[in-house]
Amino acid sequence: MSALSEFWSASVIWRDPLAASVIAGALLGFLGVYVVLRRVVFVSAALTQLSTLGVIASLIALERLDLETEHQEIQLFVAWIFSVGGGLVLGTLGWGRRLPTEAGVGMAYVVAGALVILGANQLLHVAHDLNTMVFGNAVAVPFQDVVILLAVTGMVALLHTLFQKEIVFSSFDRETAEAMGVKVRVWGGVLFFTIGLAIPVAAHVVGALPVFAFLTIPASAALLATRRLPAAFAVATVLGALAAGAGYVGSWVLQVPTGATMVVVAGALVLPAWLWRRVRG
Amino acid sequence: MPTLIRLEDASIGYGGRALMSGISVSVESEDFLAVVGPNGGGKTTLLRTLLGTLPPVAGACSSVEPLGVGYVPQRDHVDALWPLSCGDVVSMGRVPGIGPWRRARSEDGEAARRALARVGLDSLWERSFGTLSGGQRQRTLIARALASEPALLALDEPTNGMDPSAELSAMDLLRDLHGAGGIAVVMVSHRLEAVANYARRLAFVDKDQGLWKVGPLEEMLRPDALGRLYGRDVVVRQEGGRRFVYPVAGGDER
Repeated sequence: MSALSEFWSASVIWRDPLAASVIAGALLGFLGVYVVLRRVVFVSAALTQLSTLGVIASLIALERLDLETEHQEIQLFVAWIFSVGGGLVLGTLGWGRRLPTEAGVGMAYVVAGALVILGANQLLHVAHDLNTMVFGNAVAVPFQDVVILLAVTGMVALLHTLFQKEIVFSSFDRETAEAMGVKVRVWGGVLFFTIGLAIPVAAHVVGALPVFAFLTIPASAALLATRRLPAAFAVATVLGALAAGAGYVGSWVLQVPTGATMVVVAGALVLPAWLWRRVRG
Repeated sequence: MPTLIRLEDASIGYGGRALMSGISVSVESEDFLAVVGPNGGGKTTLLRTLLGTLPPVAGACSSVEPLGVGYVPQRDHVDALWPLSCGDVVSMGRVPGIGPWRRARSEDGEAARRALARVGLDSLWERSFGTLSGGQRQRTLIARALASEPALLALDEPTNGMDPSAELSAMDLLRDLHGAGGIAVVMVSHRLEAVANYARRLAFVDKDQGLWKVGPLEEMLRPDALGRLYGRDVVVRQEGGRRFVYPVAGGDER
């Protein structure tokens, strides 16, 4: 039996993980258009670290304070608090005229990363679960995670449908939007709330590296291949889903790590987009 | 004429630190006020304070409610990387009026198209904003401001980086828009020559000299007043119906 037919015959095993990966890829691909156009690519990296720090914090609480945080929902909730909080701070507050925004993002990334290492070092009993909880396990995703991911995707879609024109105006030209009475902090907050909401749940499914990749690569390819914003959102969403789905299937068939395969497939999508751009001029 | 904005004995600045104090100025409906001063002199800070996006450090700033503002930023502050058409950019001017939750109606699209036609670019509705020339981008941004049908058009260095012909064309457009009535114009510029033939009132601001002065154009264009602003002798010459203002090369530095 070929690897592909083996794959088809095992559909009960991969159905939920594949669905979750495709949804996560689509969700992050969509949000990535804002991430790339607002030039906050490294905010997504910092938020992924902060989300990881949230998971570590809940695990330390479990071990040291004997709190009931062994349930994954609680860990996810703490990760959301860290990620959404970080998104609101990094995305909407500045450092005034003293420091560039990148400095704050860099500090958040590196300090959160260091705290993750220190925190993981403190874990005694649940360290073995850490890799799965932090770096995802696209091979075995329970149906419950698909439901959570769908709920988050629905909320993100709703907010971005209701407030798209405000978020686009505030993101494209904050200065003018503010001068003309648009509440730029509110709409920037809504955008980074949705990014902060998506990252922990997506990282739980596909892992930290694919999250960073899906927030960057599909949008970059879409912006190369399209000339209008609605088309860029649509193409980035489809490419994110495609990279996640094809990466998942490819990793199964080739028996290679899933997250890394997803990232490579996403990266491979940039070349045709760039060629398409060159051909169209 | 009704007053749109009034700043009374205000200190302007950032983070509670005053850059300039004792500023009193009002903007009337159908006014044309140009704020002139050197780069980094506090012009944009003053404009932001007038528009209410930056609270005064001290003193009071009041405006009519609601004050419809159409704002034109410096051209290079707008990101040409975004995949937006000229029409998309102009349509953003309608966003504050439409409000959250609601979708744009057909009259919003018509108002945006009218605004683009007023700046002479109606044929470029579908063109990508990033492919426009500098002058066309500036006109598109002015059209976006006009699309909101504002009582006040505020512009930050609208002719910055333009060649003389494009600068003249942009300023003529502003004069025509203002002349059509129903709109006040406040613009900041570091180029006095650009505004000397268009504004009704001038304000000089330079935080480094502690200089703040506002008055009618004729009074403000006196060589002695200009000399203080530029720190050297300044000539004001009238030729072919236009004013020319320039510091004298080799003249006295004050």
